[in-house]
Amino acid sequence: MLALVLALALGVTLGLLTNVSVPAAWLTYLGVAVLAAIDACLGGIKASLEQTFDDKVFVSGFLTNTLMAAFIVFVGDRIGVRELYLAAVVAFGLRVFENLGTVRRLLFSRWGWE
Amino acid sequence: MVGAPFRPALVLVFGVLGLLIAVSFNTTSRLAEARPSRASDLVEVVREMEEQRGELQDRLAELRTEISRLERDAAEDSGIRNSFTHELDRVRQAAGLSEIRGPGVEVVLGDGTEVAAGADPNDYLIHDTDIASVVNALFVGGAEAIDVNGERIIANTPIRCAGTTILVNSTRLGSPYVIRAIGDPAALEQAVAADESASLLFEAYKTQFGLQVSLSKKAEVTVAAYRGSVRPQYAKPSDGGV
Repeated sequence: MLALVLALALGVTLGLLTNVSVPAAWLTYLGVAVLAAIDACLGGIKASLEQTFDDKVFVSGFLTNTLMAAFIVFVGDRIGVRELYLAAVVAFGLRVFENLGTVRRLLFSRWGWE
Repeated sequence: MVGAPFRPALVLVFGVLGLLIAVSFNTTSRLAEARPSRASDLVEVVREMEEQRGELQDRLAELRTEISRLERDAAEDSGIRNSFTHELDRVRQAAGLSEIRGPGVEVVLGDGTEVAAGADPNDYLIHDTDIASVVNALFVGGAEAIDVNGERIIANTPIRCAGTTILVNSTRLGSPYVIRAIGDPAALEQAVAADESASLLFEAYKTQFGLQVSLSKKAEVTVAAYRGSVRPQYAKPSDGGV
């Protein structure tokens, strides 16, 4: 757990220190990417707790989800339906809360609070 | 949770997540910084310049009064100068540098008040081209002097649109636009009616879009003097005179 928090903090610090920013037009892509990453992180914690974590499944899942989300945003931009990115946001959002619930229950059972 | 078997891949994705969040943060704060400051800077610059111009116009008006006073003094000195001053007055009047009165017409052009649902709001506004066509028609009708909301139309007066306002002599005007013209009232009225684009305003557009337009003949109208500066920078007389 400590390693995860440290990695997160390291990433944030690195980003803030280098002060990297992207053009305004990319903000939607970035937002969807952040959601995909949050989803992957929670999914990864859940799988670790269930002891079903698999490097291949995890990494490929993260990459394909992110790419598909970016593709949806791109298509939405091109066909003039900007709101298409909401599809990705809703899908990731649902999964995030679902995984969060599962992680919470798994932690309870692990700590014997049931 | 100590000793939980988190894999390096998961740790790496947490790092990526942190990086992405930081980049989003940088981007949004950069955008928030960039936008309002630029707009407010420009507003500030425009306000300052308008203030400056107001002061300069006042100064110009003062100097013009001073000049005419001196001229009158000088004219009293000698009869030769008297005729010269008379000529100068005539030229000044022709150039639009003095306020003048006479019979004429007053044209009022105001934006429509209610925009019908689903209609293009632009159709309900008075545009620079509307004012230009009315001014043009009035000149066709033999107008000797014209002003728009107190901005005298002189030889090089532009009438153009800048965003939501109309500029005449670089002064921002707003609806309603009052155009005063000196000339034969009947001839002026007829010229406006005969002009294709100007007459549209008073007929089709007025009823269709509810524009507040009217034209009234007056026994006496006052047309304002030009308040800007007339100082040619490039133009020189071709006969080598001053």
